[in-house]
Amino acid sequence: MLLFLKKCAPRCWRCLAILAVMVVLLGVVGWYKLFRSVPQPAFASEDAWFKYGSFEGEADTGLPFWIWVVLPRVFPELVPGPGGYKAFGLTWEEGQETPAGFAKKTLGFPRVTQNCALCHTATYRLSPDSPRIVVTGAPAHAFNVQQLLLFLTRAADDPRFNASTLLAEIGRETKLSFTDKLLYRFAIIPLTRKALQDQGRQLAWINRPGRPAWGPGRDDSFNLPKFMLAHMPEDSTHGPADFSPVWRMDRRKQPGQIFNWGGETPAFRSVLVDSSLGFGVKPNQEFEDKVARMDRFLSSLPAPVWPYASGEHAIRADLAATGRAVYAQECARCHEPTGELCGRTVALVEIGTDPERANTWSQVAADAVNQTIKKQGFRRPDLIKSEGYLATPLDGLWLRAPYLHNGSVPDLIALLEPVAARPAVFYRGYDLYDPVAIGFDTTSTEARRLGWKYDVSERGNSNAGHLYGTNLRPQEKTALLEYLKTL
Amino acid sequence: MANVPAPPPACCCKCRRWLLLAGVLLAFLAIWAYVRFTRDEPVTFASDEDHFKYGSTGGERDAGVPYWVWKALPSLFPEFLPDGGKGLASLGFVFDPSRPFDKDLPVGVSKRNVQGVDRVFLNCAACHVGTVRDTPASTPRIITGMPANTMNLQAFERFLFNCATSEKFDPARLSLEMKRIGTTDDFVNRALLRYVALSIARDRLLFLRDRFKFMDREPDTGPGRVDTFNPPKVLLNFRMDLVPEREWVGNCDLPSVWNQGKREGMQLHWDGNNTSVEERNRSASYGTGAIPPTLDRPSIKRMESWIRGATPPAYPYAIDKDLAAHGKPVYQEYCASCHGQSGTDFSGAQVGRVTPIDQIATDRHRLDSYSEDLCANQNLLYAAYPDERFKHFRKTFGYANQPLDGLWLRAPYLHNGSVPTLRDLLNPSSKRPAVFFRGYDVYDPKNLGFLTDVPEEKGKNYFRFDTALPGNGNFGHEGKVFGTELPADEKEALLEYLKTF
Repeated sequence: MLLFLKKCAPRCWRCLAILAVMVVLLGVVGWYKLFRSVPQPAFASEDAWFKYGSFEGEADTGLPFWIWVVLPRVFPELVPGPGGYKAFGLTWEEGQETPAGFAKKTLGFPRVTQNCALCHTATYRLSPDSPRIVVTGAPAHAFNVQQLLLFLTRAADDPRFNASTLLAEIGRETKLSFTDKLLYRFAIIPLTRKALQDQGRQLAWINRPGRPAWGPGRDDSFNLPKFMLAHMPEDSTHGPADFSPVWRMDRRKQPGQIFNWGGETPAFRSVLVDSSLGFGVKPNQEFEDKVARMDRFLSSLPAPVWPYASGEHAIRADLAATGRAVYAQECARCHEPTGELCGRTVALVEIGTDPERANTWSQVAADAVNQTIKKQGFRRPDLIKSEGYLATPLDGLWLRAPYLHNGSVPDLIALLEPVAARPAVFYRGYDLYDPVAIGFDTTSTEARRLGWKYDVSERGNSNAGHLYGTNLRPQEKTALLEYLKTL
Repeated sequence: MANVPAPPPACCCKCRRWLLLAGVLLAFLAIWAYVRFTRDEPVTFASDEDHFKYGSTGGERDAGVPYWVWKALPSLFPEFLPDGGKGLASLGFVFDPSRPFDKDLPVGVSKRNVQGVDRVFLNCAACHVGTVRDTPASTPRIITGMPANTMNLQAFERFLFNCATSEKFDPARLSLEMKRIGTTDDFVNRALLRYVALSIARDRLLFLRDRFKFMDREPDTGPGRVDTFNPPKVLLNFRMDLVPEREWVGNCDLPSVWNQGKREGMQLHWDGNNTSVEERNRSASYGTGAIPPTLDRPSIKRMESWIRGATPPAYPYAIDKDLAAHGKPVYQEYCASCHGQSGTDFSGAQVGRVTPIDQIATDRHRLDSYSEDLCANQNLLYAAYPDERFKHFRKTFGYANQPLDGLWLRAPYLHNGSVPTLRDLLNPSSKRPAVFFRGYDVYDPKNLGFLTDVPEEKGKNYFRFDTALPGNGNFGHEGKVFGTELPADEKEALLEYLKTF
């Protein structure tokens, strides 16, 4: 090589120098346009950070902001209703550029990534004609993640996902520079399309026959790491389960308490690390800082209190006091944080609820996922296989409807009824609260319009089991329900 | 070796000269093309009020109609105009003889040269300049900032859509018509229009016609009204077939736009869904075709500063001062807390705030047409311009209490213009007219409003407003607290006092 250079004439040297300068320049411009990281503007509160903060996974999972903006406008027929991304049941706060759970950050160009709030922030309202109330940390009971994923896949597979169509729509919002247009046309748009199509192929199992739709508020939470992370061969298990509330995590950190519906996760750190993997995070100090920050935030995040301070639905203290005794006798052993079974799993034969979710996980799966995550360089206590379903503390119980791990029982009144008397069909996804039933409105016209038909006869949806308290006398039930509102 | 190319012939001097000449010519052509096709010059006006009436919002850059096409359409398609097609005036456009330039363009139509072509489109004044006549014989007074009481925007849209659908909308035919009416476009523009622009314009209009089909499932707006918040759903390409029926009818009155400075921070729009004058203006600019990349910021700023300070003209007819003085305490007791101390003092605990729908009890269609779905998506509008991004839209659950400046010119009343006069508004809904005519601009000083019993004048038909149709309900804003149960003499006094606003 050196010999070759020595033979070069001075003129040749000059050419090489110019070439080198051009390459460097191109590299700098390319880096600036595609990979320059601009920190997000400071957040007014930890709450805002939770909802809109980035996990810095833009390089891996960032969807170009402008493509994200125009997709529902270009493909309205692939969106389940009018309202752009809101039609997927996302929480979109007033004045906010993105729905909760979407972080906008510039890595070369503006991109959106997802964060915890996507599945752990929700809304409720007290009457149809009243504003929504946003609750950070609440299970996103109206958010249909399966539909959102399917939308992205279908859009990417559509021939209209091309530079001309997308740039025309983007041009109605912003004036891209000539260079940016070239980058979008020849790199960003085709690469995004390919990435979404690849993701679609990896997610194809979700929509296969034999796997009924998850519906809003649920995902097949432990098949996802099996098939997406550890790339285990597809099996026939199917376990859609409700998103969990993530408030008051301090109460969940007693020694020996485990996490997730099937008790798969032995430590809160593992919950945080594993749940973040989908955001495209890397095992570095930056990520460790975020995990620590999230831990602090969720440990002090309060559970929402019963919203009726006065009026006919206000809590009647005397009745609640009576109910407390019933709770102590019937529920506390499993659900009071100091109870001997709280934070531990209860065997399937005992609890009797739908077994599908528990059956999705095994020690083999745990080993495979643990190994993959270790290989990626993350350190956290390994996932385990437990038997049965987890008994959890009941803080903020009133806003955790529908109930049971699969969300098969619409409200607390129904949960205290024997299985035959629980609704066999109801509609999930409307955020109007029903203070009498203690749950969301699952029957009105609007619930039917906005909601998803939950049919307990479908696979994974059984509303059987958890018969505790169903034999109480009516006045005991009334008192117990009153007490449960105070949690 | 027969294929070896011959060496290029040595260049002769003559040849070089030709090349040079061609090069110079090409350079001139390039400069000419650059200057022409990057041109972007609005017609400007010296006075701020004229700027409001005729200035450009930038909408012509994207949505502009070539000036000569604009001129040719009414003459080529009279059959799509009401009342025998007497030009754009038949749609309620106001022609102002005092317009400084382009007197052939009505109020609310601005002109800008974009890429060498003069283009025109609507500006704010199309909906916010109206007319008043004292008698059928008098010359209309043109009042800037007043609701465009004669303007039928929907009929104008339908006129354009119908033109585009017609087989007469043919580049050759239109070009001929433009020539007939004396186009001054140069050869390049005429060729561009004929061979490129007209077919694009036609496709675009047909596209819009398809998207605006939602209009057909609501009652006609008639003059002085518009469906404000269904068009943005279309802009965002919501599937209108899935929009719930309660959102379908968004028809409401065009508002006055005086004293906007004093309104800053109040809940603006009929349902009070936005508290920022600037943002509200950017939102309204979509109606003039201005989208984020094309909005003319300095121009909009100038219009905004004009409406911040603009005031309505005083009531021009006689006011019985003594009677008005008797009306003042009645006003203070019944109206002031929601509508302000006077036509200039907007103070009051509830002024500019929303009264819940079950209290105000007026027609709720307009309220329901604005949805949380739309509100959420509006947050993305102007996202490329962080200082301008929409942040103030809120879903509300009632109608906003408005200050009453220039009240006499704001008839018919209520958000949907369902009550013809102030006298009618002080009656319970059972005694308010069930059917009346809108769009007539002769004033009725006895009842405070326009005359609404004139279905036709000199061949011009007025719009029959039927309060039984969806969105047109004339109920609500009634009962003891709303003054409909006042004794006759107190009503008379209150009406007299309201003339001072």
